[in-house]
Amino acid sequence: MKIIQCDNVSKAYKKTKAVNKLSFSIEENTITGLIGRNGAGKTTLLKLLSGFLKTTDGEIKVFNENPFNNLNVSCNIIFIDENMSFSKQLTLDEILIATNSFYPNFDQTMSRKLLEYFSLDKNRKHSELSKGMTSTFNMILGIASHCALTFMDEPTTGMDSAVRKEIYKIMLKDYIENPRSIIISSHYLEELEDILEDILLLKEGTKFLHMPIVDLKEYAISFRGKVEDVNSLIKGRKVLYEENFGKDSIYVVIQTNNFQEDLNTAKANNIDVNSVSTNDLCIYLTSPKEGGISNVFSKE
Amino acid sequence: MILDNDNLIPIYVQIADWLENEILCGNIGSDEKIYSQYQLAEMFTINPATAAKGLNVLAAQNILYKKRGLGMFVVFNAREVIREKRKTQTLNTLALNLVIEAKRLDLDEKEILDMVSKIIEENREG
Repeated sequence: MKIIQCDNVSKAYKKTKAVNKLSFSIEENTITGLIGRNGAGKTTLLKLLSGFLKTTDGEIKVFNENPFNNLNVSCNIIFIDENMSFSKQLTLDEILIATNSFYPNFDQTMSRKLLEYFSLDKNRKHSELSKGMTSTFNMILGIASHCALTFMDEPTTGMDSAVRKEIYKIMLKDYIENPRSIIISSHYLEELEDILEDILLLKEGTKFLHMPIVDLKEYAISFRGKVEDVNSLIKGRKVLYEENFGKDSIYVVIQTNNFQEDLNTAKANNIDVNSVSTNDLCIYLTSPKEGGISNVFSKE
Repeated sequence: MILDNDNLIPIYVQIADWLENEILCGNIGSDEKIYSQYQLAEMFTINPATAAKGLNVLAAQNILYKKRGLGMFVVFNAREVIREKRKTQTLNTLALNLVIEAKRLDLDEKEILDMVSKIIEENREG
């Protein structure tokens, strides 16, 4: 069953189009990573899906309904980001109690155990927490809510890498026990990619890729070797990235339809071959201009 | 086992390889139930869909079979299938890489074979 359906969705702030003619759908009970550069439209998209913003154009269906101003959608989703505002007077414990009254599936026991695990004092006020602790608390809230649809926008901001690792592990464990749909946007893809099923890559407000992450791993391949050897091998292929180094060597990343075949050909031709990390690949794919950093410094 | 994300080998293949090793060394016997996709997902902190893909790779190679509603089980001759497969595929690739590297270093056939014989000899004593 499709839990989200977007059809030609656009959202403009004055003249800038943050989301531009975006169409995609998300299946029930999947974890999707929402990836893109700064300003690609990730946050706007999540706010549209949560019903916080109204579309300028196009149609969004969440649980088969328009999410904007929709109580049925609201009580089945939670949106976690670093700007969640809670009353300055409330302690963490009181926030948990309040959240529990909103969300019928909220797991009180787990939320308290997690507070303890991450050494968060339940009697402290939310406004007194450090940046990393705020993110940790917000994410605990998001996990324990057990909402049919959970959105997390850069949930790990400020967390140290040990906490980031652990909280994703906890999230995965909880997802296995309580399957539901989760969409996470993050700039730390390498820490997140293993727990993802699908990846939705945005570029300039529109969809660039939407595929299972295991397929993305075989979407591109990199070659490194002598310029002439590499160039003759990649004739006619789509080059995603290239960099010259040394006297006559080149590193190129090309798109591939048959990973194994390209791998074998390269090996047979004495060319160093490697896979491309998902993180690097996303950077290459969403690179705004031809060239790269060296162009900025070029004096021509 | 720790999964290696920078590896040329995709995560689901690494899972399949690990399961094969478990079968080869006898940790999981013939007609025994293998780990479920959810158990694997928890063990390796990966998405259950990725784990399922690893299991399906082995099912497609007749190393595992499905029992409806019960999960996946090890085929009675799984060890032979794995051994045969590794001999024809994995070992062949290793040999190919050996030959390529030797060519790069201008070694002739005799030098390669001598090297292999020497390693076999050393390991026999050890």
